[in-house]
Amino acid sequence: MIDKATPSPTAIGRVVATELKPATPHQFHFWTATETTVGIGAIVKVQGAGSTEQGAARVVYGVVTDGFAYSDLATPLHDVVGAEGDPARAADAPTARQEIRYWTAAVLRQTPEEPLQPVPLGQVFLADDADVAQALRMDAFLYSATPTAIPIGLYTSAGREAPVYLDADFLIGPEAAHLNISGVSGLATKTSAVEFLLASIFAHFPPHKGRVAAVCFNVKGPDLCFLDQPGNLSDEDRRRYDRLVVPAQPFERVKLYAPLKADGVNLNTLRTHPDLVGDVEPLTWGLQEVVDYAEVLLNRDDIDAKADAFIDFLRDRVLGRTFDDGFGGTHRVQSFADLDRLFRSIFDGLEITAGGRSDTWRTHHIATMRKVRNRLLNISTRCKGLVTDDGPASDLPWTEFEDRTVYVIDIANVDPLGQDLVFARVVSKLREQLERRELGVDAVVVFVDELNKYAPGDGPDTYVKKMLLDISERGRYLGLVLFGAEQFRSQVHRRVVGNAGTQVFGRMDMDELATPGYQVLTPATKSKLATLPIGELMVRHPHFTQPIFVRFPKPPVLRGRDGVERFPPAADVPFDDAVVRQLVRLDRRIRPNQVKDLIADREQDDVRRALAATRRTRPDDPLAYFRKVLGSRVAAEVPPAAPREHRAVQPLNPISDEPY
Amino acid sequence: MTWRQALIDAGAVPVAFVPNPAAARGSKEDTEPADRAAFVEGAELEAHPVPDRGGARIPPAVSFLAGFARWGVVACDGIIQVVDAYVAAAVRRRDGRGVLHTRFERNRAFAVAPLERMTPGLRHVLEASVSDIEPIDGGLAGQPARYLDTVESTVRRVRAGLERELAEQCIATLGAEEWLVLDGLLSRSPTVARHPRALGVINSHGTQFLEGRGLERALTLPAGHRTSVFAVRGGHTRTEVYSWYLRLWPWEGNDLLYGLLRVEARPDPASVALASELSGWLVAERAPLATPATRWDRLLYPLHNVEEYLKARAPRDLSTARHRLPVAS
Repeated sequence: MIDKATPSPTAIGRVVATELKPATPHQFHFWTATETTVGIGAIVKVQGAGSTEQGAARVVYGVVTDGFAYSDLATPLHDVVGAEGDPARAADAPTARQEIRYWTAAVLRQTPEEPLQPVPLGQVFLADDADVAQALRMDAFLYSATPTAIPIGLYTSAGREAPVYLDADFLIGPEAAHLNISGVSGLATKTSAVEFLLASIFAHFPPHKGRVAAVCFNVKGPDLCFLDQPGNLSDEDRRRYDRLVVPAQPFERVKLYAPLKADGVNLNTLRTHPDLVGDVEPLTWGLQEVVDYAEVLLNRDDIDAKADAFIDFLRDRVLGRTFDDGFGGTHRVQSFADLDRLFRSIFDGLEITAGGRSDTWRTHHIATMRKVRNRLLNISTRCKGLVTDDGPASDLPWTEFEDRTVYVIDIANVDPLGQDLVFARVVSKLREQLERRELGVDAVVVFVDELNKYAPGDGPDTYVKKMLLDISERGRYLGLVLFGAEQFRSQVHRRVVGNAGTQVFGRMDMDELATPGYQVLTPATKSKLATLPIGELMVRHPHFTQPIFVRFPKPPVLRGRDGVERFPPAADVPFDDAVVRQLVRLDRRIRPNQVKDLIADREQDDVRRALAATRRTRPDDPLAYFRKVLGSRVAAEVPPAAPREHRAVQPLNPISDEPY
Repeated sequence: MTWRQALIDAGAVPVAFVPNPAAARGSKEDTEPADRAAFVEGAELEAHPVPDRGGARIPPAVSFLAGFARWGVVACDGIIQVVDAYVAAAVRRRDGRGVLHTRFERNRAFAVAPLERMTPGLRHVLEASVSDIEPIDGGLAGQPARYLDTVESTVRRVRAGLERELAEQCIATLGAEEWLVLDGLLSRSPTVARHPRALGVINSHGTQFLEGRGLERALTLPAGHRTSVFAVRGGHTRTEVYSWYLRLWPWEGNDLLYGLLRVEARPDPASVALASELSGWLVAERAPLATPATRWDRLLYPLHNVEEYLKARAPRDLSTARHRLPVAS
């Protein structure tokens, strides 16, 4: 992977130090010829002229952080005088003034490490592959007995090209974990970078670290809907893939989940082209799942002990049980409709039976009950299609996650409240399953775009934000790794970005670069960040003592925009055709007319229930099963017998002021 | 160990005296013997306008030669002052992009001492530790100020010799269209003085070749004008060259010598014919300014560049006098 050092390199510069600008153990200055390939971000090597006590010459690696050019012009006025006030004449001067290209470099590494001394005033060379590995301290995890190197791109400054690797122990855990990527939108950097990095992780994740999968939330457009389709790669991209030893192919195993639309049969995704829609699994949840994550639906003002107590009461005493409401009614709450009937019965009971003399029912105030009712029933309306009345029709395979598989959850067209619910439940389930070691993989990378929205630095402490903080601070011990992306890093909660061991930056907005978080960068580095081309990133990683610029190839998958052009989404099909399509997915021998005859003149709710039951059961003969359950009222899924396991979200530690 | 340290270790008294460079430079041409000028372009000296920058024809390839000298008293054997000196000269050629590249370079580091007046022990140490000693008349050792003037003359003579050798070396290899511009007298070397594409540019005017009305016209020459060409004999070789004055910048408001150059070319009618064209070229060389040199008004930037090049490569230990107390900046 790493080319050996080329023999007899040519010096391209020389370290110079003055009293005003001395060489220090962390920084040095050097000059080069006016015509040079050196630029901001170039990695250079300084070869000390002398030798240490151990006998080896001191070698210092540095990265160029600033550059200066000036001539022997004492004052700009002299140029004006020389040109007699005419700028056009200034270029006519027969002699070019003496110029200098003067560079400032930050030290990446010194060998030997001790004693740490100022950089020797020696010759400067461009770094080759081996030098880059040394400079970035990649040798420790690249050449060890159990390598943990994950390629992130190519260092391409100064006309050189060398692979740059991240340490899996610091990217996936357990030493450090998480990755945060920032950049302005529209330059195909953040999503593309994550797609490439996932491909790289899948290709290079060390066997001794087990199995790995990725869960990606598609929150806008068709961004992640075509990860299994090949994209157009240039020869240069393919060459870079070869250089990084990453297969230039789309992901082999992609499972895409999308909720249904309000009609309960058409998928709410842009991947509905007839050739591809068969690979999309419906994602539908029932009352049980919603109640378990009811906290997500409550805003800050809603969260109080009374609401918590009532929700707990519903979970423990009501859901899935035969329940007497105290006003003569008996309920068995298994769906939102059942729950609504219970609430109506209680409210009627309090107003009519009790004559309006009491405001409480079983110690719960009527206002609290109304608030919880509104929140719970509201979600079934706003997210109809994701939340159904029929129990867990379709869900992720929580115990059967597969190695090197991307699970895409398309919630781009879901109500924001529903997005929060999906995110909270999926991440919570992942955490639960990883804690129990029952997920099927040892590590999961969760890719969340738009962190500005989900974990803002200011604003209320929502459940989703607390969950992201929890992953950031504790996920690495479980193998739950957050790859977060946002446009403005400064506006994301500082502990979310601060806990990311690896920081990646695409092209940045100058206003963003003016915020305090970027004060450690030189003006030149900021200027480069503000003009980064597509496909180039600045990377900070625990092993790198300075930010490094890398170039990554275009992802080997079909971009979302290209995907919808090549595979235009199909229009919503009529109810009966949608039912046919879903049944045919289960058994290609089923003829449409059979299904249409079967569901003619039947209530759509009954058909939906039968379809959900068939999807859930996946019988050997789907049509026969569908016919059977359609013949009578289809009962919602009966939960396990009491005592029901409490599957609520585990409490999160409150947000504290501890430093990350 | 340096020879200076060896001398001090042997009993010499350490001293530190470096002459004022500006004062030394001003006397560069002062002692050159000269005859009165003989007019070769017209019967009397007149002012001729030269082409402006837009009309100037600048040769595609030009080499510039300049020299540099630095000396200082470093030790005393009684009242005998022992001098450490360094002289250098270089030719830098201008390429098509206007960038200067060094073609030839010579330097000489030597000691200056009246050996016959030194004590035997220190003389032995000096002769043993220094391979290059320039002898000097010890008769003036008892008059330190005049002695130092002699040292100055000696160093200047060595520098002139170095520049002459380098000029002759350069002339021998000059390209077909290439010119050589020297900082100083062209007449030091007959070989160089006869070359059709060699110019001497003199910016110190210690020697006057004109008198009366001609001198007045020369010293009050308007900017962008030259005088008529006249013939002079200069240098120790008494070589004849053609010469004229050229004003680069207006002198009004400054002084008579402000922006005034004297140009030397080969003694040939062609020089007279080319005087205006060559003057236009030199006027075009006003830019870039040779700042921060104090003589920038009459110093061509390429010659300034050669001087800076030589200064950058000179030994550092003679650059400033070593004061006993730190000097506030």
